[in-house]
Amino acid sequence: MTSDRLSGLQQAALVVLRTLVGWHFLYEGYYKAVAPAWSRAGYPLGHWSSRGYLRAATGPFADVFHRLAGVTWLDMVDHLVVAGLVLVGLSLLLGLFTQAGCAGALGLLALFYLSAIPTSGAMQPGGEGAYLLVNKNLIEAAAVVVVSSFRTGRIAGLDLLRKRSRAIQETEALAS
Amino acid sequence: MNLTPEQQELGRRNFLKAVATTPALAALGAAAVFKGPVRGGPVRVGIVGLGGQGRVLLGAADPAYTQVLALCDVNPSRLRKADEVLAKADRPPAKHYDDWKTMIEKEDLEAVVLAVPLWLHADMTVGMLEAGKHVLCEKMMAWDAEGCRRMADAAKKSGRLLEIGYQRNYNPVYQAAYEGVVKGGVLGDVFHVRMVWHRNGPWRRKEDPPSPDYDPSRWGYPTFDHLINWRLYWKYSQGLAAELASHQVNVANWFFGAVPEAVLGSGGVYRYTNEAREVQDHVYLTFEYPQGRTAVFTSIESNSHDHYYEAYYGTKGTLIMRGETEAYLFDEGGEKKATSIAVTAKGTGPVTDASESRAADAAGRWATGSQQGVDRLVSYRNEVSGFCASVRTGTPLLCGPQKAMGSALACIAGNQAMAKKARVAIG
Repeated sequence: MTSDRLSGLQQAALVVLRTLVGWHFLYEGYYKAVAPAWSRAGYPLGHWSSRGYLRAATGPFADVFHRLAGVTWLDMVDHLVVAGLVLVGLSLLLGLFTQAGCAGALGLLALFYLSAIPTSGAMQPGGEGAYLLVNKNLIEAAAVVVVSSFRTGRIAGLDLLRKRSRAIQETEALAS
Repeated sequence: MNLTPEQQELGRRNFLKAVATTPALAALGAAAVFKGPVRGGPVRVGIVGLGGQGRVLLGAADPAYTQVLALCDVNPSRLRKADEVLAKADRPPAKHYDDWKTMIEKEDLEAVVLAVPLWLHADMTVGMLEAGKHVLCEKMMAWDAEGCRRMADAAKKSGRLLEIGYQRNYNPVYQAAYEGVVKGGVLGDVFHVRMVWHRNGPWRRKEDPPSPDYDPSRWGYPTFDHLINWRLYWKYSQGLAAELASHQVNVANWFFGAVPEAVLGSGGVYRYTNEAREVQDHVYLTFEYPQGRTAVFTSIESNSHDHYYEAYYGTKGTLIMRGETEAYLFDEGGEKKATSIAVTAKGTGPVTDASESRAADAAGRWATGSQQGVDRLVSYRNEVSGFCASVRTGTPLLCGPQKAMGSALACIAGNQAMAKKARVAIG
């Protein structure tokens, strides 16, 4: 699929979708990275750890996540999650190594989805809606598939520069 | 690298296309900086003065907001009691000091809570601010007007925060009353406030020295009694006007949006004439506010029937704030219909759910606190947490130097008025 067959509006919509997903990942990573921190309204946010999230895991893979919550190297997992969120976020925002960023996003979203597959169909405590099988993680993963399929890094983003730069180098090599 | 004009044009277009997302990134980044979290953990704090009030503040210090690293007091037995407060709350112990200067030299503190006798407020606060520490200083602001001004100037010069500990500013009942009743004009025009703080006792503390050879003169007190009962001696205290009236004047200033212009006073040591005591045991002060508004404060140590309350008498209604835990609103209409302000025991924000109350209220009988009162300690917890939030995130202080000075200058003038048995202009 090339961008030549897409209208300007379609291309813009795809890039906006990628930017929004990228922002979501980057801010999640940033928020976890700066913790312990305070909200601007003056409330302490505390240190972030995935332990609570893992302990609360539900669904068919819950046991795996519960065991992970108890490992001694959970700090490393936390650092990896934060780094993953930030790198994926930057990749999608900037359109740099976009396909790799999409793959990373899908990996993380798959973990988040599998740790809490909404099977009850009821509203969960603290949740803002009721979900049955399909939740926002799954929908975001589908959005990432779209972003990846249309290779949006070639529509707008730093991948374009990489591509042009490589083309120019190849042209120069042929000319010399 | 040699590029043809066509290549250059193509390159420019490609670059613009490539960075098309940059404005979005910049805008979202700016939004993150503006609304995102502020880095940092609990505020690193030392507490100076671990008497009753200091230990209340220590107990009220929420570990999510405050990390208490050091405790300082000239009386070792108070430090031991403070340790018990920390241990009881399963909180880590703090280092002990008897000299505040050593404490701020050795400890990496961001802020200091001062709960020391009044005569020390100004020097200690100025020293802390000049050392770059934020300060939460217990009320009253300072022993004299000059001390208050030095404190305010030091806060301004240092760029550090100075809050004075009038906990009613952080009390959900008072906040509810202000937001829901006073600001809305429910009371009509208020010309008179009655401020009462009545007790039946000598205000004297009894405590043994920490050791037989303990020497309080090192800290400026000729005897141990002067140290423990500093409130009773003029050198260290401004008596009932400072310790009690200043709380209620602070609220009157807040509710009126003004400070008193003059004060008339009388009072003296009428009951405890045979005790080692200098400050009055009966105090009667009349504060004159602009626009014909008058607040009358009485504090007696010979009868506790009324205990303590503030009553705001308006042309449309009466608001009574009782014991820092309860509020009542009485309609001035034909049937004298009464309402009570419902307060929640656990909430931290203002509650303004005014509702029709029972006939018993209209008849003037107090409801018991358990059903509608708020825990007094909530105010202290909110105060310490609010101060720490201000330090870390810049949220506004609820009782900074200017607001606190309004009350302090009025009460200092009140003592002058009592001494002269005359009307004294304030300011």
